[in-house]
Amino acid sequence: MRFVGLTLYHSAQSLMFNLMRGMRRRNTGSGGIIQLLHGRGWFVMALVIGAGLLNLPTPEGLTDQGYAVLVMSIVATILFVTEPIPLPAVALLIIVTEVVLLGVNPNDAAKSIMSDSVLFIMGSLMLAVSIVKQKLDKRIAFFIVKMTGTNTANICVGITIVSGFMASVIGEHTVAAMMLPVAITLIRLTSEDPKEVRRLAAALLFSISCGCAIAGISTPSGGARNAIMIGFWSEFYYDPLNPDTFKYLIDYVSWALYCFPIFLVQLPLTSYIILKVFPPEYNSLNRAVVKLRAQLAEQGKMDVGDWSTIAILFITLVGWITMSGTIGLGIIALLGAIAFLVVGLVKWDDINTNVNWGVVLLYGAAISLGVQMKDTGAAIWLADKFITLLSNIGAESGVGLWLSVSALTTAVTNMMSNGAAVAMLGPVALKMAAVSGESPLLMGYITAISSSFAYLTVVGTPACTIVYASGYLKASDFLAVGWRMLIMSTTVLMLFAYFYWPVLGL
Amino acid sequence: MNEDVKKENNTKPFKILVCIDGTDDSYRGLRYAARIGSGANADITLLYVRKIDKELNTGGLDMRLARENMLNWGLDLPSTTALKRAHDLLIEIGYLDEDWGSKTSHTEIQGDPLGDNSVEYTSQSGRKVILKLMVAQSPELGILDESELGSYDITIVSSSKPGEADDKAMRFSGSISQIVATESKNTVIVANSLEENHGHLLCLSGSASSFRAAQRDALIARRCYCPIYLYCVAKNEDEIPHKQIILDKARKIIEKMGYGVSGEKIDVGDPVECIVEEGSKYSLIVLSGERKKGFRRFFKSSVVYRVLRSAHNSVMISR
Repeated sequence: MRFVGLTLYHSAQSLMFNLMRGMRRRNTGSGGIIQLLHGRGWFVMALVIGAGLLNLPTPEGLTDQGYAVLVMSIVATILFVTEPIPLPAVALLIIVTEVVLLGVNPNDAAKSIMSDSVLFIMGSLMLAVSIVKQKLDKRIAFFIVKMTGTNTANICVGITIVSGFMASVIGEHTVAAMMLPVAITLIRLTSEDPKEVRRLAAALLFSISCGCAIAGISTPSGGARNAIMIGFWSEFYYDPLNPDTFKYLIDYVSWALYCFPIFLVQLPLTSYIILKVFPPEYNSLNRAVVKLRAQLAEQGKMDVGDWSTIAILFITLVGWITMSGTIGLGIIALLGAIAFLVVGLVKWDDINTNVNWGVVLLYGAAISLGVQMKDTGAAIWLADKFITLLSNIGAESGVGLWLSVSALTTAVTNMMSNGAAVAMLGPVALKMAAVSGESPLLMGYITAISSSFAYLTVVGTPACTIVYASGYLKASDFLAVGWRMLIMSTTVLMLFAYFYWPVLGL
Repeated sequence: MNEDVKKENNTKPFKILVCIDGTDDSYRGLRYAARIGSGANADITLLYVRKIDKELNTGGLDMRLARENMLNWGLDLPSTTALKRAHDLLIEIGYLDEDWGSKTSHTEIQGDPLGDNSVEYTSQSGRKVILKLMVAQSPELGILDESELGSYDITIVSSSKPGEADDKAMRFSGSISQIVATESKNTVIVANSLEENHGHLLCLSGSASSFRAAQRDALIARRCYCPIYLYCVAKNEDEIPHKQIILDKARKIIEKMGYGVSGEKIDVGDPVECIVEEGSKYSLIVLSGERKKGFRRFFKSSVVYRVLRSAHNSVMISR
């Protein structure tokens, strides 16, 4: 039987491999349609699934348009995860199908992909490039080693704290890109042989990625998911004529009041978990730190450019804190990016090359799809089904529901980007609040925060992907740290939702 | 150097593709490649495959920015580190000289701004060593593309056993090397603790392809002066005379090519278990392979795949 199983396994493996095999570099033989479809297996499969589902009868209680949006979401999710075609093409496909399949006016479809959330994503990416280009990372590294000394555990804690505080303001991809060379320099100055510094490397690199992950939810500017959820609250619940709905316009400070303490509580726990799972081989990095200090000392004093960068960042942060409620997060992020360009600290070419505009378009399309889920009734229908399902296990409200939503979001966010996860799940979670009688704000916070629990996989968060590119980590390392982090973060979130948020009036 | 090898020197070079992933196994594979390539006309390509960056994974910030930042710190990227180490190893063992001429090239590849990059070193006699950094949708796709498009005579890919798979960056897990071994149209060595001086165990089933494998192995073994040992597994005692005929035929084929056989053996039992056990005493287990798809594999050559999975040492699938 083992023989049969093994052979079948090989046959299936080969079949799948050839079906999904990517586009070849040059045409190496069989031409025509087969060659054209080479590597497009998942695309074809997604279309077949979509067409098959659309030909099924519309489920009871759901409109035809709502059903079409649900099918579109399934197809889009398959394409997000498998990426058989460029992601911007998926975004464009969403817009096209909204018009063709749902009958949405083309102008409305075009408008729906641009919102303050999308402007924020665009602006924060531009800011990210501008900041990384200023090479402030060496100064930050110097600050860390000056603050922590040479003790390895202290350095790991220092990196987690600094990464965390920076990621709470400027986005985790920026911080990960800046901190990665700091960690690798420390590793290589300790030993050139990766086997000798296996655990040290893991501890330092996870200090960056986990520090970023726990901080990304602490303020609205920490990540795209936060801006997307703020956008959904406003889109779904805000009515300018009804003062009772003004609470759904969440500003920077309100969000930080709810979420920043969660980050602070997680900071020491995160360092504890990382150092427990990967106790470094060396208690002291004396040699490495001395060499690093010598390298960093060559930089000299901070120049006008450095001070200008800090000033622009500070003004942007003040803008977010004081004005995001009135002019939006996105406009302030764009103002910050424009300031970098005006002062001449960054070239447009640098921004243009290093920002993936296709992803911005994709977020826009995903948010637009989320809005369509609300408008067509698909979100409330799905929410109702979930609540009915959860009522079988007594989790239709309260902590049971919070945990279920958190678990669902965690599962999805570990397979795709956290922003995309919130864009897809946010509308359903908010409608689940309506069905179950929970506060939409509470359910929204739980969804957005849980989307940062992408500790288990390399692709979970941008910071994970960036530190993995160092070549020092295995995919299994993410699991080793990830499940512990997951339990810790979920517990902390539930405790805050139960004890702390009610104090704030939620 | 015998006449055949001299003759080969005047014909097209023997092309060896060595997949470098930073593991010790891949460098052992490189040593073996250098041995096959030394003393005769051969080109060695060292290939590192990096996955194309997925756009959504970095939240819209191009991964290139993080890489550039590392380079600004004077840090090598994992790919460069791995290829540099391979380059240094070839110099250390005297295969590559500092005075070889070098030429760099860049090919733009859709989907990744870095594209393919290579450095080609050429000796005065025309022998080449090419360091190639390639981007592909997956390591196995990159290897198979290069292997087929470059018409290599042999591809060497390192392997980790399931469970020990060290998937660091571009390290080749057991399944990657198996896919390459299974799907490649050319001869593949799956390098697993590859040692140089223990000879080739050439396993013969009596099929036409196994005799072609004997020819092929003779060509490779004589390049590195590796002894060949012939091996057959009989299901029972009655089959032994038939297996002896197969061994004799293979011996004649190899001797006709101007190379010798250092020993032969027939065991009775399960082919996979016998090959894996006997093979552990040799540098390489050599098996014949045909690129069969789907359920054809169920009826043919499944021994190859079972040996690939179970072997404790390196396996060469000869095509």
